[in-house]
Amino acid sequence: MDWGKLKFFLGEVRRNFTRNAGMQATAIGTVAVTIILLGAFLYVRGLLMHLSTEVFNQIEISAYLSDAASPSQTAALRAAIQRDPRVRSVQVVPKKEGLKELRRRMGGQVDTSLLTQNPLPDKLRVRVRMPEEVAGVAAHVAKLPGVTTVNYGQDIVAKLLQLSVVLGRIGIGIIALFVVIASIIISNTIRLTVFARRREIGIMKLVGATNAYIRLPFICEGFLDGLLGALAALALLAIARAELMPKLSAALPFVRLGASSIDPLRLALELLLVGGAVGALASWVSVGRYLRV
Amino acid sequence: MISLRGVTLVYPNGVRALDRIDLEIEKGTFVFLVGHSGTGKSSVLRLLYREVKPTSGTVIVDGIRVERLRNSRVPALRRHLGVVFQDFKLLSEKTVWENVAFALQVTGAHTRDVMRQVPRVLDLVGLSHKSRMYPNELSGGEQQRTAIARALVNNPKLLLCDEPSGNLDPSNTTEIMELLLRINLKGTTVVVATHNQAVVDRMRRRVVRLDDGRIVTDEERGYYFLGLGQTQVLSG
Repeated sequence: MDWGKLKFFLGEVRRNFTRNAGMQATAIGTVAVTIILLGAFLYVRGLLMHLSTEVFNQIEISAYLSDAASPSQTAALRAAIQRDPRVRSVQVVPKKEGLKELRRRMGGQVDTSLLTQNPLPDKLRVRVRMPEEVAGVAAHVAKLPGVTTVNYGQDIVAKLLQLSVVLGRIGIGIIALFVVIASIIISNTIRLTVFARRREIGIMKLVGATNAYIRLPFICEGFLDGLLGALAALALLAIARAELMPKLSAALPFVRLGASSIDPLRLALELLLVGGAVGALASWVSVGRYLRV
Repeated sequence: MISLRGVTLVYPNGVRALDRIDLEIEKGTFVFLVGHSGTGKSSVLRLLYREVKPTSGTVIVDGIRVERLRNSRVPALRRHLGVVFQDFKLLSEKTVWENVAFALQVTGAHTRDVMRQVPRVLDLVGLSHKSRMYPNELSGGEQQRTAIARALVNNPKLLLCDEPSGNLDPSNTTEIMELLLRINLKGTTVVVATHNQAVVDRMRRRVVRLDDGRIVTDEERGYYFLGLGQTQVLSG
């Protein structure tokens, strides 16, 4: 290892970085703002996605059976539905159980003791593997002999499915937008520092430095800009999360917003990577303009 | 060492800088390119270090067909030749030592070679004792000597000088020319573009005279003007 070479190189990067300290601060600040927006957006998007899967997991199809169905018919029906690969589980809920559940759910709001007989039919509780398959399975089950009606909260499912598709699409668009904005800002900053050093670049070219060699310190500079901006953003995001999450959990007690939803470490690493990569790429582009013979 | 054959150079703005130039320069010679400003002296040099490509014709430097050289091979060409300019092109925030070392460092040279070559060329140009000074602490002549040291640190076979004494007073000019002569005596081919009549007349070296993009005369031991004392070139 040639330490002299490394020292020279690091010296060049450091000089570059400190000479335009004001400009670097601007670039870092703007990257930070961009990354904060991106990070906050990704976090909220993660939460919403998590929420919708939570709701999906609770979706079940209730298939009400005709009163005439015998226990053996019910068992056969259950087995038939269970054979469908899209189905995760089928559970028989006899009318007695159904009434108990109803009583529990109503929780004294309605006086169920007034009921002289059980109005509920037996039902099958069907859970599917993929939320998108709920409608298909429900339609299939409805056509089976012995099933009178099928209910699975059609409206909610359709809306949730739509939401997750839209979130996914908008998400990619917004991420792309943020990355483009950050790239433009960094590449403008780097272009100014390149401009300030164009004499030096000219001399480097004159004495036979390769383009790759000339580029390297600038790419490091852009990478540092991006990385530092992302770090600053992450610090602020972490503070915001620590402040807001307990309040959010308190406001939405019935939703599990636990650590399982999004891995903050992974998100942080991704944001750092995005920051650094965008910085390096942007400066690669801006130096290129000055390297043409 | 250098061979230009039928070289024409037209700049993108339409200016015809050189018009069907033929020029052969042997290894180890000292050659002046003379002529008014804008007659193509600098253009000849720029062709040699591949700052520009000829519009037509061939340019050969040390066996390399320069006009056919791919961009990626240009750095390799430039490591085999040194270039010196009127405005020195030194980096003001680097010391003399750093300016000279820079030329080696940016080509990825090993530190061992930097430590060996920089003192050698600083000694050659007589600036060993000022190696820690910054360019603005030096006289014009010393700055140009620093630039020459930087041009020589790669051990080039060819040294190109574009108006090296353009910003210097007569005594500094003499100093620089003597230095270039010493470098030439060590075997380096030296090509100097200048319009400094005193220098050319005193040195009595090969003089290639350009006018309006063409070579008009080429003398083995020439004067600045065609025949000593002749002045019609000026009035023309």
